[in-house]
Amino acid sequence: MPDSASLQQDLSRVALGDRAAFQRVYRATSAHLFGVALRILNRRDLAEDALQEAFVNVWHNAGSYQAAASQPMTWLIAIVRNKALDHLRAAQRHVASSIDEESEDGTTVEIADERPNPMQLMVQATEGMRVRACMEKLDASHRQSLALAYYHGLSHSEVAEQMRAPLGSVKAWVRRGLERLKKCLESAE
Amino acid sequence: MNYDRPELLDKLASEYVLGTLRGRARRRFEQVLRAHPAARSTVHAWEDRLGRLASSVAPVKPPDRVWAAIEARLIPAPRAAVQAPSGWRAWIRPLAGFAFGAVFAIGLVVNDPGRFVSVDDVAQSRQALPQSYVGLLVNDAGDPTLLASSTRYGRRLTVKFLRPVDPAGKVIQLWALPREGAPFPVGVVKPAKPPASTTLDLADTSERLFSNVSRLAVSLEDAPAAGGALPSGPFVLAGNCVKLW
Repeated sequence: MPDSASLQQDLSRVALGDRAAFQRVYRATSAHLFGVALRILNRRDLAEDALQEAFVNVWHNAGSYQAAASQPMTWLIAIVRNKALDHLRAAQRHVASSIDEESEDGTTVEIADERPNPMQLMVQATEGMRVRACMEKLDASHRQSLALAYYHGLSHSEVAEQMRAPLGSVKAWVRRGLERLKKCLESAE
Repeated sequence: MNYDRPELLDKLASEYVLGTLRGRARRRFEQVLRAHPAARSTVHAWEDRLGRLASSVAPVKPPDRVWAAIEARLIPAPRAAVQAPSGWRAWIRPLAGFAFGAVFAIGLVVNDPGRFVSVDDVAQSRQALPQSYVGLLVNDAGDPTLLASSTRYGRRLTVKFLRPVDPAGKVIQLWALPREGAPFPVGVVKPAKPPASTTLDLADTSERLFSNVSRLAVSLEDAPAAGGALPSGPFVLAGNCVKLW
């Protein structure tokens, strides 16, 4: 992860039209942000477009970045995820069908998805973090629906398809999962 | 829908950040975000909670063409600008800005000769040295808002208000942006009604402070910034700082 203080400083300079600072921000963060976009879109061309648009956005909106409100990386990740989600909708891709499909004999086969398992990503991300304990307290179904939505950008119905669960249940799992996660993080603070 | 209910706002913000808020509901919520600071801060809190999940995603170096495409979109090269009409338009803006600045400066001399005095006057009165460092700060809409000026060896900066600045209960913190390195705080500008001026005392002569400074900027801070501090929020005003003589 890039150094937060120097990123913050560079973003404040980008707000003033400093190209060198902008390039430093790109160099320090683009690989991580491209990874995030790629996990959601699972297509390099779309992920490249999303990354490009995200940085155009950063150039124009660096002035709205509030150092006091969030970490620079958190801000950048949010921009990239939003762009990636936009592309996902535009491409109208049925992600569930490319993640794993049931073959005719009823066994599950992996198709064309080299992305790491979202549950594994969640476990790795939370290594040694307070959010880990909070995630572990969630029901497995809550945890899994949050991971699928967050890492792969799946919608409620796509998560339902993926987990072979009714849409209503998935909506409730996501909502309760988020509520409990928030409560747990707040009580630990 | 009533977006003022905190629990509803929290639910929408959480699903917006998670990505499960889709379609028209997402677009509508984005409009709410633009209008309501409370909604924005709820979203920021969720970005903070969920953003840490992204740390385990393996970095993948994007191909060089992505950076090239970004640069091409934002910063047209001079050669490309001659060929492409869109590039020309992008060029006109800074030129127009410069022309405006020049006209503005001339207008200032014509209308306010007391500010720029002749060499003879200087000889007569050391109090009336010509302003050497001048910065014109504009707001987001590009309207000239503050004119900062100081004599080369002076330790006092005069700030003329061309437009009102609403500090919103905070202080108007002036920053200097050197060509290289981090912004440094210059001082706090006392608010005034246009076209009045206020002054602020400098830590050193303007020659020493501003000789490597290309831009000035203003952020609103809870308290005056200490040496070594960085702006806590966005710059609300910014503009070029030039040495006139």
